[in-house]
Amino acid sequence: MTLPDWMKGPSIEPSGACVGGRQGFVDRSLKGFASFFKKVYIAESFSAKDAFLQRLEPRASLAGFFFLILGAALSGSWVFILSLLFFTTGLSVITKVGVGPLLRRTLPAAVFTLLLAVPSAFSFVTPGAPLVELGGLTITSEGVRTAFFFVLRVSSMAALASLAALTTTHSGFFRGLGRLVPAFFVTALFFTFRYALILVKTAEEAALARKSRTICGSGVMEGQGWSASRAAFILKRSLSMADEISMAMASRGFDGHVRLNPAGSFKAFDFIWIFIASFFFFLSLGF
Amino acid sequence: MDEVFRLEGVGFSYAGRPALKGVGFAVRQGDSLAVLGANGSGKSTLLKILDGLVFPEAGSVTFAGQPLVEAALQGAFQRSFRSRVGFVFAEPDSQLFCPTVREELSFGPLQLGMKPQDVQKRVSELLEMLGITALGDRAPYTLSGGEKKKAAIGAVLAVNPEVLLLDEPTNGLDPRTQVWLYELLEALKGAGKTIIMATHDLSLVQDLSDRAIVLGEDHSIAADRPALEALRDKDLLLRANIIHEHAHRHGDIIHRHSHGPYSIHDEHD
Repeated sequence: MTLPDWMKGPSIEPSGACVGGRQGFVDRSLKGFASFFKKVYIAESFSAKDAFLQRLEPRASLAGFFFLILGAALSGSWVFILSLLFFTTGLSVITKVGVGPLLRRTLPAAVFTLLLAVPSAFSFVTPGAPLVELGGLTITSEGVRTAFFFVLRVSSMAALASLAALTTTHSGFFRGLGRLVPAFFVTALFFTFRYALILVKTAEEAALARKSRTICGSGVMEGQGWSASRAAFILKRSLSMADEISMAMASRGFDGHVRLNPAGSFKAFDFIWIFIASFFFFLSLGF
Repeated sequence: MDEVFRLEGVGFSYAGRPALKGVGFAVRQGDSLAVLGANGSGKSTLLKILDGLVFPEAGSVTFAGQPLVEAALQGAFQRSFRSRVGFVFAEPDSQLFCPTVREELSFGPLQLGMKPQDVQKRVSELLEMLGITALGDRAPYTLSGGEKKKAAIGAVLAVNPEVLLLDEPTNGLDPRTQVWLYELLEALKGAGKTIIMATHDLSLVQDLSDRAIVLGEDHSIAADRPALEALRDKDLLLRANIIHEHAHRHGDIIHRHSHGPYSIHDEHD
């Protein structure tokens, strides 16, 4: 093989106009998202701890959380929702998860809900006694209460869902869910999770590959163009992976009906947990 | 011995690009067959056709005398076929779709209707045989490449198929895992399993296969003969782009030898 002349000499220095390998907005966002996704959904450090909720049979754990979340969705009482939030915070301590990690996972849902709830504080959505005048718009006390209650309700539900996910191993989570809802939904959910993992991994690898060949920093426009082209590539790759997985399932006898291993038996703690959770649920009906 | 597969004039293409052309051969029970060919020669497609995952556009395929067509692969024949033929994919990530390794290994036997307690016993024995008992409750996507491969092979062996289809079995494995795989395949061959593998690993073919089918770059069969005979045919392997010849000079002597995972022989001018 004969090398071209330029390849035989030393590599050239980047031109003077070059800014240097600064990390762009797109790279930072992607890195942040991948890290968040891994931390929240992949890390099993909390579910591996030896504590009350982690010791429960996954079916019992998920059934209990289901009752609590349902209670939060149905109750119209401030006292109930606040009690539930305190109860969840207490559970996070008992289960060795801690308030900080739970808050980090709940906060994005709370902030997003707050943004959605802002309009309901104004009189054009919730009429009532005026509280503050803002540039011709009136914020009502009923509106503020409605918005705040909505944020509290969603936050408590998000905290409960996060705690369920944090204290249950992924395998336990899907196995437990498989006994509570039709297997088809669990399979669909599992595949969604699986593809999300593949997407994150592929996107991260693509970003690293780009970084390894980036000598000059790139602008936001160029970064956005690159992201758009990667999105198409990742979609194509995930479709191809979906094809391969369905073939692998067919190859091992899958005929559209998922058959799972039988679940383990309930112990005293499982019944206690379900009793506590269903107690909260029945309380929510009265408030 | 009974005939397992028979292919006659099989053709397949991807969006007009040919993958296989006029492929025909027969496989008997207990055969150890290697399918050799360059990248893109149609090896993986051929294995997918043998596993009834894709169906030929031309020609015919039979399994144990029954036509292997989409319409036939349901009900009793589907269950019998899936329990008798297992396919280890080249990319373990495609094959591992369950939440844990243990469930991955249970999947096939459960789908084929085995009793859960029998499945659990079989899976425990299999985990021990593969040396991955400690990984039983781990999620497959958290495993290393070699561990994933072991789990993928275990998932197929759990059904105890008579015919094993392996696509690039040694791809991406470290030397120790390659030796482990070779020993496993040798034991399976000794147990009378039919082994059909698509590979570039010529040393594995030399050690394990009795027969080799070489797919040419025109996607048709360039040779179908005893494995050692095919491996000694340097011109055939060069033509099929499985090895590459390299020449360099040692003083006055021109030294020619093949390049690839398996060195055929040296020549001096």
